[in-house]
Amino acid sequence: MNIPINPKNHPCFCKTGVIYLYSARKQYIERLGIVMDEYIVEIEHVSKSFPGVLALNNVSFNLRSGEVLALLGENGAGKSTLMKILSGVYTKDSGTIRVFGQIIEDLNTKKAQELGIAIIHQELNMCAHLTVAQNIFLGQEITEYGMISDRKMNAEAKKILSSLNIDIDPEMVVGDLAVSKQQMVEIAKALSTNAKVLIMDEPTSALTSKEIEDLFIIINKLKQEGCGIVYISHRLEELENIVDRVTILRDGEFIKSMSFHETSLGEIISCMVGRDIKEKFPRVTCTRGERILEVKQLNAGRMVRNINFELFAGEIVGIAGLMGAGRTEMTRAIFGVDSKDSGEIILDGKVVRIEKPMDAIKCGIVLVPEDRKKDGLCTKLSIRDNIALPNLDILCNKVGIVSNKKEKTMTEKAVIDLKIKLPNIEVNAGSLSGGNQQKVVVGKWLRRKSRVVIFDEPTRGIDVAAKVEIYNLMNELKKQGIGVLFVSSEMPEVMGISDRIIVMCDGKITGELNTDEATQDMILQYATSFDKKSADLMSS
Amino acid sequence: MDKRGKQNVLKRILAIRGMGQVITVTIGFIILCIVFGLVNPIFFSGKNVANLLRQIAPILIIGIGQSYVLITGNIDLSIGSVVGMSCMISATLMTKGVNPLIAILITICCCLAVGVLNGELVSKCKLPPFIATLGTMTIARGIAQIVNNNYNTGSIGEGAKGFRNFFYYGKTAGLYNAIWITLAMWIVFNFILSKTRSGRHIYAIGSNIDAARLSGVNVHSTTIKAYLVSAICACTVGLMTCATTGMGTMDAGNSYEMYAVAASVIGGVSTLGGQGILLGTVIGASIWGVLQNGLQFAGAPVAIRNITIGIIVVVSVLLDVIVRTGKPRKKKMNPVT
Repeated sequence: MNIPINPKNHPCFCKTGVIYLYSARKQYIERLGIVMDEYIVEIEHVSKSFPGVLALNNVSFNLRSGEVLALLGENGAGKSTLMKILSGVYTKDSGTIRVFGQIIEDLNTKKAQELGIAIIHQELNMCAHLTVAQNIFLGQEITEYGMISDRKMNAEAKKILSSLNIDIDPEMVVGDLAVSKQQMVEIAKALSTNAKVLIMDEPTSALTSKEIEDLFIIINKLKQEGCGIVYISHRLEELENIVDRVTILRDGEFIKSMSFHETSLGEIISCMVGRDIKEKFPRVTCTRGERILEVKQLNAGRMVRNINFELFAGEIVGIAGLMGAGRTEMTRAIFGVDSKDSGEIILDGKVVRIEKPMDAIKCGIVLVPEDRKKDGLCTKLSIRDNIALPNLDILCNKVGIVSNKKEKTMTEKAVIDLKIKLPNIEVNAGSLSGGNQQKVVVGKWLRRKSRVVIFDEPTRGIDVAAKVEIYNLMNELKKQGIGVLFVSSEMPEVMGISDRIIVMCDGKITGELNTDEATQDMILQYATSFDKKSADLMSS
Repeated sequence: MDKRGKQNVLKRILAIRGMGQVITVTIGFIILCIVFGLVNPIFFSGKNVANLLRQIAPILIIGIGQSYVLITGNIDLSIGSVVGMSCMISATLMTKGVNPLIAILITICCCLAVGVLNGELVSKCKLPPFIATLGTMTIARGIAQIVNNNYNTGSIGEGAKGFRNFFYYGKTAGLYNAIWITLAMWIVFNFILSKTRSGRHIYAIGSNIDAARLSGVNVHSTTIKAYLVSAICACTVGLMTCATTGMGTMDAGNSYEMYAVAASVIGGVSTLGGQGILLGTVIGASIWGVLQNGLQFAGAPVAIRNITIGIIVVVSVLLDVIVRTGKPRKKKMNPVT
C-alpha cells in the first residue's frame, strides 16, 4: 500500500527554476493520498541552546501526513524554536531530523522550502506595498521572455486563492487588506511553494470568530489533501474543531504526545503548566464604589460615535465586540492618542481636558495598548528603561535628572510583582518571550497611582498561566478601588472577569449587560447589530 | 575582596548598553595608534598629540550633535552647512566691528533657528528627515554665501583677538582651549543623554515612536531638542573654524555632516535609532582624526586617506553586526517564544 517517496526524484521537488503550477501540486497530493498517515516529519532528540538558555532539551516530535497536530506549551516552552529549526531558520545543536524518511542535515530555509516545509509566522511577513499576487510569488516570480509577467502571476494566484475558497482579488495591494485577509494570503503563499508540511504559529490571534471559521475550513481541506499541519495556539477552546493530536512541550522539554480525542482540556493544561490551575477565571467580589469615570457623547472619527458610559470604583467593565468594532479607537480617543471631535470625559466629578496621552497620564488614566510590538515596547531598550519611561516624572528630581536608585527599585519591584522571567533588568525588552514582554507592558503602567486603567487585549498571544496572572492583577486593581476597563475579543474571558459588559458594534455602544445575565449569544447579537445603513454599506 | 570589587566594576561597565562596539573599536583604535607610532615615531611626540587632539575636536563636537539626532531615529544633513553659516555670520559681524561676544550670540541664535526649523519640519510636518534636512542644508549654505555678498570675508581684525585666543591659540593647563571646550560639551551632553529625562525620551522615540507617544513622551519637543543640540554643536565648530582661519570662509564645514555620521556610526550609534552612546562617538571621532593625521605622517596621498577611511566606516559597522549576530547580513530573528 505504501509507496516510498523519494522527494529528490519527484517533479515537484526538483528545483529547476520552473514555477510549479498549482495543478502539479494537486497531482502530487493525489499521489500522496496513498501514503496518508505516513510519518512525514520525525524529529529525534533535538537540542538547541542560545547564550544563557537551553531552549530545547532532547525533544522528539513527529507529524503524519493528513493530520493536524497542535503543538502546545506555555510561552518560552520552545514551540517556536522547534518550529524554526524545522523550517531551517535556526540550526539544531544535536539530534536528527527526518523529512519523508530521509535524514536531513544542514537544514536551511531554502532547503526547507524545497522539501515542502512552509511556516506562517506569528507576525505576518508581507510586503505591504506589493499586490497579493506579487507577495504570493515573492522570490519565485513567474517570468515570460525574461521579464516578470504580472498577468501570469495574477492568473496563477487567482487559481490558488479560489482553490482555497478565498475571495481576494490578486491585484489588491496587501496593505489595504484586513489582517485576516493578509493571513489568508500568507497561507496561499505557503501553498504556492507546494508545502507538504504547514506550520502555523498562532494563526488566529488576530482573527474574528467568523474569520477563524473560514480558516478552519481551509485547514480541513488541506488536511484531506494530505498536508501535515502543525498548529500552535494559546486558544485551547478552538482546538477541538480541527485538531487530531496534541504534543506538549514545557520548559524546552518534551512532555507528552496524545490523541486529542482521548484527552481533556484539563489534562492538557496541567501538562502545559506542570500543575493544576484551579480557576481559569479567578473572580473577586467588591462592593461597587462611587463613580470614577464618565464618558459623555464621545465622538472621534467614524469608528467612535456617540459613546456614553460610566465606570465605578471597584468594578471591571468588559468591552466586547468584533474586530473593527471601534473598541481600540475608543480607548485611544479617551487616552488622547487620537483627537476627539466632541464629547466630555469626567473624572471624579470633574471635566478633564485630554488632548495628548500626557494629559491623560497626569490626571490618572492609563492605557495598556493592544499591539505590544508597535505601541507598547521600545524593544531596543532595556527592561529598566521601558518600565521607567512613563514614570520618569516620579523618578526625576526637579532639574530632570533620573535617579538611578529609584529607577532600579521600581523596576525590580515590577519584576517581582508580575513574576517576569528575565536574566537581569538590563537586557533588551525585545529579547523576552511574548508573555514576558506583555508583562513588561502591563508593569510599566502599574507603578503609578492611577484612577482608571484601560487594558486593550492584554492577554493576546500569551499562555494560560500568564493570562491568569494578568487577571489576578486586574482583580488586585479592582480591590484597590481603581476602575478597570477591559477590552477583549475572547468572549469567555470577558464574561469570566468583568462585572459588567459593554458591547460595541460599528463604532457605537449597542448593548450593556450584567455578567450574571450575559450569554455568548446575547453578546454576539449585540456585537452584530449593525444599523441598516452601515450593514448595506458593508455588504456592497 | 579587592579582586571581587574589580570584577563587579568590570561587569557593570560591560552591562552598559552599547558598550560592546565601543570596546571593539577602542581595541581597533589602540592598534591603529601603535601601528602609526611604529611607522613614524614623531606620531607620539607631544606636539603632534596636541595637534591631533585639536584635529579631533571639531569632528567630535559635530559627532555629538549627529549622534543625538541619529539616536532619535532621524538624521541631520544640515550640520556642515550650519558650520559654514556660523563661520560666515560671526566673521562678517566681526569684520564690521561688532563686539565678538555679541557676534557670537547672534550667530548662536541663527544656528538655533535652523535647529528649530529642522525639528518642526520633521516632527510637525512629518517630512522624512533626510529630505527636510537636505532642504535646510542647502538653505543654510545659501545663507552662508549671502551674508557677505558671495565673498569670503577679510581678516576678522584686531578687535577679535580675544575671540581667536579663546577658540584657537589660547591654552589652559597646558591644553588648547578648543580641547577644553570639546571636553566640557561632551560631559554636558553625555550627562543629559544618559542621566536626564530628556535623554531617556530621545532613546525612547528612536526605539519606538508609537510606544513613546503612548507613554506620555512629547515626541515633538524631544525631536526639536535633538536638532537643537545638533545645531549648537555645529555652531560651536563654526566659531572654532572662524577663529582658526581668522576669517570667514563660505565653504567651511563642507561635507562635515557625513564626517559626523561616520564618527557616530564607527562608535556604535545606530542609524535606525534607539542605540548608541556618546563614549562611542569619542572613539569614532578619534579613529577618524588618527587616520587623517597618521596617514599624513606616513606620507599617504589624500586619495589613499579617503579610501582607508571609507573602508574603516564599513568594516567597523560590519564588525558590530558580526559580533552581535555571529553572521554577516543575517536578519535579526525574533527571540525564543
